[in-house]
Amino acid sequence: MNFGIAEIICQFLVGISRSMILFIVCAGLSFILGVLRVPNIAHGSLYMIGAFATFSITKIVGGTYGFWVALALAPFLVVLVSLVTERLLFCHLYQREHLMLLLFTFSVSLILGDLVKIVWGAEYRSVPPPELLKGSISILGASFPKYNLFLIIIGPLVGIALWLFTTKTKIGKISRAAAVDREMVGVLGINVSWVFAFAFLIGCYLAGVGGALVAPTVSITLGMDHTLIIEAFLIVTIGGLGNMWGALVGSLIFGVTHSFGVLFWPQFAIVFPYMAVVIVLLLRPKGLLKSVW
Amino acid sequence: MKRIFVLTSLCLFVIIMSIFLSPFSIKAQGPIKIGIVDTYSGPPTTYTYDVRDAFKLAIDEINAKGGVFGRKIEFTTRDDKFKVDICLSMAKELIMMEKVDILMGTINSAATLAVSEYCKAEKIPFIVTFSKSDKITGEKGHRYVFSVSENTAMIGKAAASGLAKRPYIKYWIAGDDYEYGHALADGVWGNLKKLKPEVQLMGQSWWKVGEPELTPYLTAISSAKPDVVIFATGGASMVNAMKAAKATGFAEKIPMFIHTATEHSTLAPLGLEAPEKVIGTSNYHFYYPDTPKNKAFVKAFKDAYGREPKVGALYGYLAAQFITKALIKAGKMDREKFIDALEGMKVDSPVGEIEMRAYDHQAMLPMFMGVTKKVAGYPFLIATDIVTIPASEVMPSIEEIKKARRQ
Amino acid sequence: MAKKESHLKGLWILGIIFILLILVPPFAPRFFTYILSLIFVTSLVAMSLNMVVGFGGMFQFHHGVFYGVGAYATALMLTKTSLPTWIGFIAGPIVATLTGLIIGGFCVRLTRLYFAMLQISLGSLLWAIVYRWYSFTGGDDGIHGIRMPSLLQSLNNSYYFILIILTLSLFLMHKILKSPFGKTLQAIRDNPQRCEAVGINVRRYQLLGIVIATFFAGVAGVLFVILERSVFADLLFWVLSLEIFIMCLLGGWFTFFGPVLGTAIIISLRTFVGKYTEYWTLILGIILILVIFFLPEGVMGYIQELVKPGMKDTGQEGKRIDASSRIGL
Repeated sequence: MNFGIAEIICQFLVGISRSMILFIVCAGLSFILGVLRVPNIAHGSLYMIGAFATFSITKIVGGTYGFWVALALAPFLVVLVSLVTERLLFCHLYQREHLMLLLFTFSVSLILGDLVKIVWGAEYRSVPPPELLKGSISILGASFPKYNLFLIIIGPLVGIALWLFTTKTKIGKISRAAAVDREMVGVLGINVSWVFAFAFLIGCYLAGVGGALVAPTVSITLGMDHTLIIEAFLIVTIGGLGNMWGALVGSLIFGVTHSFGVLFWPQFAIVFPYMAVVIVLLLRPKGLLKSVW
Repeated sequence: MKRIFVLTSLCLFVIIMSIFLSPFSIKAQGPIKIGIVDTYSGPPTTYTYDVRDAFKLAIDEINAKGGVFGRKIEFTTRDDKFKVDICLSMAKELIMMEKVDILMGTINSAATLAVSEYCKAEKIPFIVTFSKSDKITGEKGHRYVFSVSENTAMIGKAAASGLAKRPYIKYWIAGDDYEYGHALADGVWGNLKKLKPEVQLMGQSWWKVGEPELTPYLTAISSAKPDVVIFATGGASMVNAMKAAKATGFAEKIPMFIHTATEHSTLAPLGLEAPEKVIGTSNYHFYYPDTPKNKAFVKAFKDAYGREPKVGALYGYLAAQFITKALIKAGKMDREKFIDALEGMKVDSPVGEIEMRAYDHQAMLPMFMGVTKKVAGYPFLIATDIVTIPASEVMPSIEEIKKARRQ
Repeated sequence: MAKKESHLKGLWILGIIFILLILVPPFAPRFFTYILSLIFVTSLVAMSLNMVVGFGGMFQFHHGVFYGVGAYATALMLTKTSLPTWIGFIAGPIVATLTGLIIGGFCVRLTRLYFAMLQISLGSLLWAIVYRWYSFTGGDDGIHGIRMPSLLQSLNNSYYFILIILTLSLFLMHKILKSPFGKTLQAIRDNPQRCEAVGINVRRYQLLGIVIATFFAGVAGVLFVILERSVFADLLFWVLSLEIFIMCLLGGWFTFFGPVLGTAIIISLRTFVGKYTEYWTLILGIILILVIFFLPEGVMGYIQELVKPGMKDTGQEGKRIDASSRIGL
């Protein structure tokens, strides 16, 4: 196979753009894991709801701005679903054993999965990229979709926003503190339960954003939740639990190894991310970056 | 300790009793029972709902006319969630508890093969509605299994026959990395080589099933500059492939061939965003052939369900026709007589007369090859320049089947 | 004395259940024989998982791999070689145990979530191999129509064979867990640091626990082949492992028979509710949430609480259920 430098660059960029969506979703998962110590299996279902909601909103609003409106609103729908789940059910369980919380998020994912089927039916859905971002640009002769360029830009923006939020705002700092030592936070007179709720909603918001962003690039189907969740957990683990930058590193490893695997050894590209995880965990058993706990 | 066990055994007893007392079907001169086990969760649903709905429409019509020899036909469905173990369980439940006379299903090839073996052991007729593995009526075929869907061997022959007529020499093969993808690719390539020995395979790309990000693969392929790419994708990746092809402009530069690219299940969700000039094959289009029979079928389906029928609807309809006609010919619900009657049976359908080949129990379906195009009046793309490849050119020969089954 | 008495009474009750189960094939409809056999096989896997999770405290999130490997080993021996059937039957647990030794060996170097993720990755690699190696394993088509010796040909005979093997396995597992080894394993679960401090080689015990558990998973794999005559790649996929894990949690992972009950509930639910609606996962989700809220110790745990408050099979009284615990995940 002969590729020039153009193809390699394109491949690299495509890997990065895919990583960006993974990063956004995993940052949310990692955040929830860090603060609440709960592996949120329902994260995949929320991502799927984000994608389906984007489809519906884009369709209803229509026109050239449909997608942008959806991108803004769909994550809030996801937040609404998470809020209802959290206030009605989840908040009563914070004192419980971790395995029970795991069971809980699993049950929620089952329920949400079927709810999506009831609301949106079984058909494949598709959302076209917005007018602004249709088509591709030429990079040294190889074509690269404009929408992927958009993803490469927005990923770091979300990352920076998240970083600013957790280090500069009061609530962000409290969340980080609660991740490290929740007892202490409680002793300081802060309502830990509210902090948890808030962290959960932020994490779910990010899942919704991820779902909205992925919508124009793939077919939106039931089952999206399963394919995402296992990757998300692997990334979060190798990145370092609760560490946002870890989620970034993990996502990049996943996306880029996959892209290059495709180029050089397409037969086995599916195996590369798992191999990467095995190697990382054997060399650095606690993940690549510092884990919050 | 003792009281726990009293409680547990009480519970077990209650469960067993309640199961005993639950209503069961009595097998007398009631309706004829058909069981359908299929995947009604996840991506395959877009296909399987059509199979079930068309089947129901046809059966309702037949029942309205009095059923078969005075008995109505009833069917019940089970969702296997695309899992082989659940499919086996549900199939056994339908056979042992519901006591169905005939079994139908499923879209999961592995599950179909497993259930097929079970039906062989239990001597129950099993009509396969959507699975595409050629082993079903080929290598692993037997007396008790029939298929109304095309399989990878047939697709291979049809596609090769169509592609050989086009001027392409340098090929690239890409697809979903599972049995269906590989069988499809092997089928197309094997037959193409026979028809046109000068074709060359430049390379292959395989991705995991349902892979969302196909852009890297398309980039790699376009750098190799083949004349045409054969995509061997299943339902899940199909739409992704089309989207990626549109986004990168791949479809404009390099011709693509994808089985079912021209089929409505693929084109409907993409609306006007689907790429044009993609060559595809399909068993059914609701707008072709433009015969009164097809028109009537589409109208009835649309009136009942509010959407145009896709290929699954053809299979569901065929299953209903074959079952009904064979039963009438057999004269009564006798499984062996039913099978004898079904062999060689011919039924009328929206795509013409279809025969159930007696030797391998495979329905002889024609294939339609077309090219995607935007046409005024439709909110999605349709297939144009449609060429019909008749069943005789598409079916594997009986010698090939004999060889596969080692007979 | 009271303990010995209740022990004897317990054995009587078990005996009655056993007799009831023996009476099923001749008196109950065929389908119940089948479903009970399926419950037996799956509960054996769930029980083997619980040895590691409930009693060992390890996050064995991909136990299904060993079950699948055992089933495939047997299937391959029976279809590809003409060796006698019983060799095929023994091959299952042996190959499963070897796999357990290798994968477990890697995993015990880590703890908690990392243990789980490493196992999922290694397991998924194995799944990918089985899935893609079409010529050897049948790939994603699987292997079907596996022949059984005439003794096990009928459903009823298979049922009895499975029941006997299940009973023997449960008996063995119980003995192992009550032995000094079992007690040490539980001690490690509760406080690994303290055990290290008194000189116990924690990793070796954990690995041994995993190896024993995977042996039984392999046995269950063989039983699966006997019952269904098919193997397929799904058996090694993480979704099945997660389902088995949920069966343990539902039944109550602090108890001995919990997983059996959890398995019975889930399989019965999906079969009998599945008849009426395609949304049975929704119903399962709801039931699980109800159990979480009202039966925090799992179903079996609840039954035991009713019967004997404060006492759990695994001596868990002392374990602190503390959300702020630093041990965490």
